[in-house]
Amino acid sequence: MVDIVKFLINPFGTMIGGILMLLVPILIGVAYYTYAERRVIAAAQLRKGPNVVGPFGLLQPFADAVKLLFKETIVPAGSSRFVFIIAPMLTFVLAMVAWAVIPVGEGGWFADGPWVIADINVGVLYLFAISSMGVYGIIMAGWASNSKYPFIGALRSAAQMVSYEVSMGLIIVSVIVCVGSFNLSDVVRAQKDLWYVIPHFPLFIVFFVSILAETNRAPFDLPEGESEIVAGFFLEYSSMSFALFFLGEYANMLLMCAITTVLFLGGWYAPFDVAWLTWIPGVIWFALKVCLLAFVFLWVRATVPRYRYDQLMRLGWKIFLPFTLFWVIATAGVLVAFGWLPNA
Amino acid sequence: MAIAALSFYVFAFITLFAAVNVIFARNPVHSVLFLILSFFSSAGLFVLMGAEFLAMVLVIVYVGAVAVLFLFVVMMLDVEVVASRKGVARYASVGGLVGGLLLVELVLIVGGRVGGLPNQTAAPVLPIPEMAERTNTQALGDVLYTDYILLFQTAGMILLVAMVGAIVLTLRKRSGVKRQNIQKQTLRTIDEAVELKKVEPGSGL
Amino acid sequence: MTHLDLIAFAPELLMAAAILVFILFGAFTGDKAARPVAIAAVVAMLIAAFLVANQGTDDGNFFNNLVAINDFTGAAKILILLVSAASLFLALPHIARDINKRFEFPLLYLFATLGMMILVSAQDLMTLYLGLELMSLSLYVLAALRRELVRASEAGLKYFVLGALSSGMILYGSSIIYGYSGATNFDLIAGALTASDGNNIGLLVGLVFVIAGLAFKVSAVPFHMWTPDVYQGAPAAVTAFFAGAPKLAAMMVFVRVLVGPFGDLTAQWQQVIALISMASMILGAFAALNQRNIKRLMAYSSIANMGYALIGLAAGTPEGVQGLMAYMTIYAVMTLGTFAVIMLMRREDRPLENIEDLAGLINQKPRMAAAMIIMMFSLSGIPPLAGFFGKLMVFMAAINEGSSLMIALAVVGALTSVVAAFYYLRIIKLMVFDPQPDELDHKDAREWSITAGVAAALLIVLTLGFQHLHAWFVGASAVLFTG
Repeated sequence: MVDIVKFLINPFGTMIGGILMLLVPILIGVAYYTYAERRVIAAAQLRKGPNVVGPFGLLQPFADAVKLLFKETIVPAGSSRFVFIIAPMLTFVLAMVAWAVIPVGEGGWFADGPWVIADINVGVLYLFAISSMGVYGIIMAGWASNSKYPFIGALRSAAQMVSYEVSMGLIIVSVIVCVGSFNLSDVVRAQKDLWYVIPHFPLFIVFFVSILAETNRAPFDLPEGESEIVAGFFLEYSSMSFALFFLGEYANMLLMCAITTVLFLGGWYAPFDVAWLTWIPGVIWFALKVCLLAFVFLWVRATVPRYRYDQLMRLGWKIFLPFTLFWVIATAGVLVAFGWLPNA
Repeated sequence: MAIAALSFYVFAFITLFAAVNVIFARNPVHSVLFLILSFFSSAGLFVLMGAEFLAMVLVIVYVGAVAVLFLFVVMMLDVEVVASRKGVARYASVGGLVGGLLLVELVLIVGGRVGGLPNQTAAPVLPIPEMAERTNTQALGDVLYTDYILLFQTAGMILLVAMVGAIVLTLRKRSGVKRQNIQKQTLRTIDEAVELKKVEPGSGL
Repeated sequence: MTHLDLIAFAPELLMAAAILVFILFGAFTGDKAARPVAIAAVVAMLIAAFLVANQGTDDGNFFNNLVAINDFTGAAKILILLVSAASLFLALPHIARDINKRFEFPLLYLFATLGMMILVSAQDLMTLYLGLELMSLSLYVLAALRRELVRASEAGLKYFVLGALSSGMILYGSSIIYGYSGATNFDLIAGALTASDGNNIGLLVGLVFVIAGLAFKVSAVPFHMWTPDVYQGAPAAVTAFFAGAPKLAAMMVFVRVLVGPFGDLTAQWQQVIALISMASMILGAFAALNQRNIKRLMAYSSIANMGYALIGLAAGTPEGVQGLMAYMTIYAVMTLGTFAVIMLMRREDRPLENIEDLAGLINQKPRMAAAMIIMMFSLSGIPPLAGFFGKLMVFMAAINEGSSLMIALAVVGALTSVVAAFYYLRIIKLMVFDPQPDELDHKDAREWSITAGVAAALLIVLTLGFQHLHAWFVGASAVLFTG
């Protein structure tokens, strides 16, 4: 077994083997996340949720996938055909490629360094770049549909994502100032003794709210806003193109949870440096933390009412932006004052 | 490094292809999308040169923010494609002339360069540090906030002007718009909000 | 960066700090802040001018050779600050009437002035470009400030598009210069030029682009087309600012770039500047003849005047540079005074712009008319007034330089002065001899009368004390020619 794995990760197989080992669990995770969402919300609303297909309804995601696969792809008349088709692909691909730099574990039985496909110097910036490109899938979809509601949805979404990226960027700066490196593995290693969620707790909350907005999730799901604009930017999509959007969105949510884990929750480290906790492989800890955050996503959706658009903008620009800016300066000030700057 | 060479040709080809299409695409929205593609593949070229920081910043700033606004404007404007093509014949001669002039100058300069004209005896002002010793993010930070602090701050002032200017030119106070005052809302007490009246049976208020 | 850098740059730092404080103050105070901020901004500019005059460090290059501080930049900054302060003072009554009480209005003056100070201090192409952009961006916004008027929007847009084009040209030229000299620093460029041993066609091409870009900013022909529209579209107070400080700054940086790093190429750029200068003088003189709108007339007048000032630069001698500085100083005084009178032309509290509206001014407001007469005589270069000395100095510099090109330039300058005198004198004729159509508003803002009076008085004082002004400029220009 070990030999096979080692073979897969030798210089020749690194790419394909590593990518498969990462993407297959993620895709399965995404599939079951949709299932989890329906179960959690059902529980919150005192219903049962999907429970017929397979034991506890566990086969439901696959049934849905098969159903969507066999539906007809409808390209609306007057749409921009090429852009219309490329948009969901873009969303999905971007949600997948971002995972390349997320370190899910370290050391152990098959790798010396961190378990990551590309351990690059500017990992944080890479993530930020990819997530800032995510907006294109939505704008392209909204515009290419040549239809009123999708266009409004796309505009809302783009403005929202661009707005919240600003404070996300500042939050990341605060964390990076403490680490002294853009490398995500370094970010995790810097939290070996103290997870950043403790010193940066307010920042963690702001970041979590921002990623809700960034992924267009409740209570910031105005781009889809079914009570006002039907389904927003993916109104005209059907069949596999719809499924790609759907998968992309959920993969993005998991990705954002993973980023939060890396930045604030100590990545692959156990909560306490106690013997029996550290026996559990890092990747398990990582997965647990992601699952916890992913659950909060669903929990928020089930309990918090939707924001109005001007409230959303006010929150982003008038509260988060000044606060995070203040926090960056305060963090840098404290680090300099106490001589805690890394790489000084 | 066959893969690096191959990547270079792929990125370079896509950049050029997209750049040409920015000009020739019939639909302005497609032009902007091609522009974005060209930004993106230029970022790829940066990565190949080892300028990873610049590559990422190019994507974050230009692709993630500037081009989004571009796209917004172009999508909202709903430019008449045919109308914008009308003037092409009229301006082609002038544009061609200016373009040709620039081309001739460039050829002269590049030609002169090949001929060994420029005289660069001086040592580079800013030697590039070894990539293994200092990542290029650090190398940029080394000079940006020390040697070039003045330029950095001046650029900041320019952005501040842009911000002030944008607000001056667009913000207007419209009458008849109801604005939410959150503080007022939340500070409202039950005394101000509710009035209890004793109503006698059989008579109105 | 050391504390010496900060001390050397204290005036600029003061301006920047003032901007930041005023922004916060204005943002929290609202419309009420407009007038106090404007007054405070005038005071800040005056304090900065005082700081420049009492520079706390030795001359030299600072901030890693990005800026230079010496007598020339000091003189340029003092002039810029005084002219800006005067323009903003002139604009004070406007804030309540035409600008909708925006507190950003004085802030944009401060931004622009800060940009000009950085611009004239530039010892590096990057500093030059950033200073220029800081100045220009503020000016674009000022031009379009009254966006409810179509003409103001048009002015702002035109200014912005053409200004962006000129910035592009400067950048393009700078990149060529960088490619050929391997440096953006003025000293290193000069060194590369000396080392190039005559093989400098590339640097020359780059320099031509930079000259074209700067010519845009001083509105010299053939890069003048924005001037009349912008002058007409912007509020009169803003136009007065446009005509004074930015031109002064662009001229000074013109001198610093051409005489400094490119001093070795004088023979080459002299022809370009002479051509631009000649074309400006001719077009400015003849195009103004038909103007009925006084702001457009002043625009063409400014184009012509830039032509005269450029004669001094074309000469490329210390004498020429002194002439240019004197000319620009006197021109700024004349412009401010003239615009102060133009702003007085209001009927029913609305600004008037046709020159016919000046008719019979002498009966209604004799003192203002007298000031205007002095201004017009000075602009046309009638001997006892300061304007004459400015012209005299640049013409003398051209003749003393001796080449046939420069002598031709001086002759053209003298001839176009005669043509230009026609429209200046026509305004005097209108004011003194023509019947008055309707009464103008009686209540004038004190700021306008003061500015007009001070400008007129200055033109006479400068005449009497011209040797002091001259001595100052001799000292200031000396540093350019020592290296």
